[in-house]
Amino acid sequence: MKELWWKQVRAVIHLEMNKTFFAKRGLWIYLLALAPVALFLAHTLIEIHSQGVRHQMSQKTSRPLTEQDFSSIHSGMTRDQVVKLLGEPPTSHMGARRVQTGPHSFDQNPFEIMRYSDGRSELIVSLEKGAVSGVSISSGTSLGEDTYIFAGVFQFFFLRLAIFFGCLGIFMNLFRGEMLDKSLHFYLLAPVRREVLLVGKYLAGWLAATVIFTTSVALQLIALLSLYDSNVIATYLYQNHGWSQVIAYLGVTILACIGYGSIFLAAGLLFRNPIVPAVLVLIWEAANPILPALLKKFSMIYYLRSLCPVEIPVDPGMPPLLALLISNTEPISAYIAVFGLLTVSVLILAGSMRRVCRLEINYTTE
Amino acid sequence: MSNQIVFDNVSKFYGDVLGVNRVILSIPPGITSLVGPNGSGKTTLMNLMTGLIRPSRGHIRIFDMTPDQPERLFRVVGYCSQFDALPKGLSGYQFVYSYLMLFGYDATTCDELTWRAIDLVGLREAAHRKAAAYSKGMRQRIRLAQSLAHNPRVLILDEPLNGLDPLVRAETIALFRSLAKQGCHVLLSSHVLHEVDIISDQVILMSGGYVIAEGNIQAVRSEIQDQPMQILIRCDRPSELASRVFREDHVVEVRVHNDRRGLLIKTSKPDRFYLLMNKIALDGIRIESVAPIDDDVNSVYEYLIGTEEVTR
Amino acid sequence: MAVNKRTYRGYAGALTPAWSRFLVLYRFARRTQFRSKVQTVFFVLCFFFPLLCLLGLYANSHLSVFSFLGQRAGPFLDINGSFFLVYLSVQSALSFILTAFIGPGLVSPDLANGALTLYLCRPLSRTEYVLGKLSVLLITLSWITWVPGLVLFFVQGSLSGWQWMANNIWLANAILWGSFVWILLLAMLSLALSAWVKWRIAAGALLLATFFVGAGFAQAVNAVLRTKQGYLFDISRLVSIIWQGLLRQRGDPPLPVAEAWIAVLVLAGLCLLLLMRKIKAAEVIR
Repeated sequence: MKELWWKQVRAVIHLEMNKTFFAKRGLWIYLLALAPVALFLAHTLIEIHSQGVRHQMSQKTSRPLTEQDFSSIHSGMTRDQVVKLLGEPPTSHMGARRVQTGPHSFDQNPFEIMRYSDGRSELIVSLEKGAVSGVSISSGTSLGEDTYIFAGVFQFFFLRLAIFFGCLGIFMNLFRGEMLDKSLHFYLLAPVRREVLLVGKYLAGWLAATVIFTTSVALQLIALLSLYDSNVIATYLYQNHGWSQVIAYLGVTILACIGYGSIFLAAGLLFRNPIVPAVLVLIWEAANPILPALLKKFSMIYYLRSLCPVEIPVDPGMPPLLALLISNTEPISAYIAVFGLLTVSVLILAGSMRRVCRLEINYTTE
Repeated sequence: MSNQIVFDNVSKFYGDVLGVNRVILSIPPGITSLVGPNGSGKTTLMNLMTGLIRPSRGHIRIFDMTPDQPERLFRVVGYCSQFDALPKGLSGYQFVYSYLMLFGYDATTCDELTWRAIDLVGLREAAHRKAAAYSKGMRQRIRLAQSLAHNPRVLILDEPLNGLDPLVRAETIALFRSLAKQGCHVLLSSHVLHEVDIISDQVILMSGGYVIAEGNIQAVRSEIQDQPMQILIRCDRPSELASRVFREDHVVEVRVHNDRRGLLIKTSKPDRFYLLMNKIALDGIRIESVAPIDDDVNSVYEYLIGTEEVTR
Repeated sequence: MAVNKRTYRGYAGALTPAWSRFLVLYRFARRTQFRSKVQTVFFVLCFFFPLLCLLGLYANSHLSVFSFLGQRAGPFLDINGSFFLVYLSVQSALSFILTAFIGPGLVSPDLANGALTLYLCRPLSRTEYVLGKLSVLLITLSWITWVPGLVLFFVQGSLSGWQWMANNIWLANAILWGSFVWILLLAMLSLALSAWVKWRIAAGALLLATFFVGAGFAQAVNAVLRTKQGYLFDISRLVSIIWQGLLRQRGDPPLPVAEAWIAVLVLAGLCLLLLMRKIKAAEVIR
């Protein structure tokens, strides 16, 4: 019997792959998954270009410059003082800003932006009316900084939005979409237990979501790391827990697909318009930090956040609400997080099984 | 194992709307046609049999199985529904093959059964084209193929001849007949009454969610007492025959046929009338043929369902 | 004689003007629009904030109201660009929710059920079809955006006098065009997404995703690329920048107003392109 069930599950997965997962109308899910890859790739290419530009600028100064030279420039200095300290700027941009001086009168304020580089960092000096009005030093990127930025993008864009909406699109299609296509009855007229059908469809959806989004995570990390040389990458991977972070990100992605998949499969079975529960889940997940302790446990993001390997540092100047969203005030151990997420998912799937056994086909009311 | 499809006091309500009410049926092997106006409950009955909807009351059994046991039931039941949609992205071959895989068959068996079913409906050349690109008739045929690919013992067909050209209709009807000869239950619904007449062993007439009549069509006709039987008699002396039959109190109407070579008679007691014909034939009037003209589905439909529609 | 030649005659009466035929779609959509109780209640609730603003304007001009309460008070509202920026922000959020109710069901059911053929085999062009569907959203959303906004402006004008109105007529312009940009963008986006996916539900999900994911992606771009150009992906931010420009707000917007306008126009163009590709009488599948 179990062998038959397994054959039937495989048959359902095969059918779903043929029917749905490489269809044109799923294109937006692929775009959603590839958007952050494109972003990190763009970052790498821009940074490589910037490094080249900085190197060229450093060759054009009258003498090699250091960070101390940059630190000596401050607001209020004149152009001549800056040039005396650093030499003529390798790159300079001049213009005039239109400023409103009265209800119907305007004036032109000349400005200049000078750029210097020591090969790694870049000094940008803004001058207005011949005096320094602003100084900024950008040091280029470091892998440490980039890992925090990746962690932020992963937690706040990829997990909460990309995987959320991607799973919504994939899992909602499995039952509700087939109802709208008027093709669900073909499954119900096959000698398959409805519970087996549900398992098969869920696994098909989970496989597709996992492949799409774990590939995206892997490509994002490759795009990010390709900016750095092999020594830096080796140090990060082997000495700074890089591999464990990579595995953790992939694991969190897989678990997110399990969790959100179970929610949206159930929503597709229970609600004629699953958008309403999707919005409610989105709000529920967003409000997780401010929920009471017991209610927090009925949320996927509660478990997923604790499994994310890098905690995003809270900036003291950050708005309190954003700080609350970012900080994980009640972290739980990895084992409890995995167990909790799987338990909630299994409970939701068990409820879905009961629902699918009572499912009736009435396309005319859809 | 029982050989019948049984409806035991089955009712289905969609909220306040009646689907079917108090249906008691026992369907034997052979070709059974479900006949009725739109909205009479034919599709509801078929969906109830196959578990696509659940009865509000009553029980359904197909052989010794219920619709709650799809893993057993659909090994012997095939259903070609009225829904014209097909799963997206599949060719005709893939459509039949993929759903056969759900039976747990191996790839070779699935392939053989698929081609056999596709050949039965004459779609071999178009089998590898996307099903979404098929014409209406081709979609109907491929759905038929899918429903009978696994050699079911019960074939439920909701308007299976829709969209088929006359040649394919004839071939499909011949297919149903051959399946029925092999002992299958073929239950189909149709609005084309003359075809129902030709192919059906028994009919079930429905109207307004109720079963109005069921059984062999001649038997059903004989039960309709309030509609005298209409008989056409071809003879050489119709006027003389008319004067003879007018003497009988069970004859309610006699009309000479337009070609003046026959009589159209309405009688409330057809059995006594046929005995009378024997006597008349011995008296010298040459009778060429005696045939009832209203013991077909069309007439029964009009008497039973047509009058109901009028009285509403 | 054939039956149709005996009694049938073609219609020989007056015809409605050809230019207004697309409004037929609006009239029919209006009948079904408010069948949903939730949608109707929400539509009514959308007038709550303008009503509150109206009461605020009145109280602001009739401070003697507070003397009955034993309180001395000065004007508590500054009726300027900032006031109407808040008004537009609140009403734009409500109009987004209303669009999520109405928009997805406009085109996708016609495509899914093959009804587009029925429309286009009448003397109705694809352009008129799109205009008709757009008009459903534009007219409905106008009732909760620029119409109450202009009412507030004229009420304030009547309370403050002709001189105030003459000096601040640019506010009325800003309310009108600012609202129009937002509701036109919403309408085109929801129609385009509805035409693309052919499912009402998926279209609704995509509409949500476009705004939420767009905003999230904008933040991600800004963080990764250390720039502010990421806001080009945040539709609500772009429109907010346009409003700030129209309502002459001080402060440094994250993007130049001209750039925001160009981005919005490009998005509208993409929506139009998608609509023209998808709105066809028949789809050929090979």
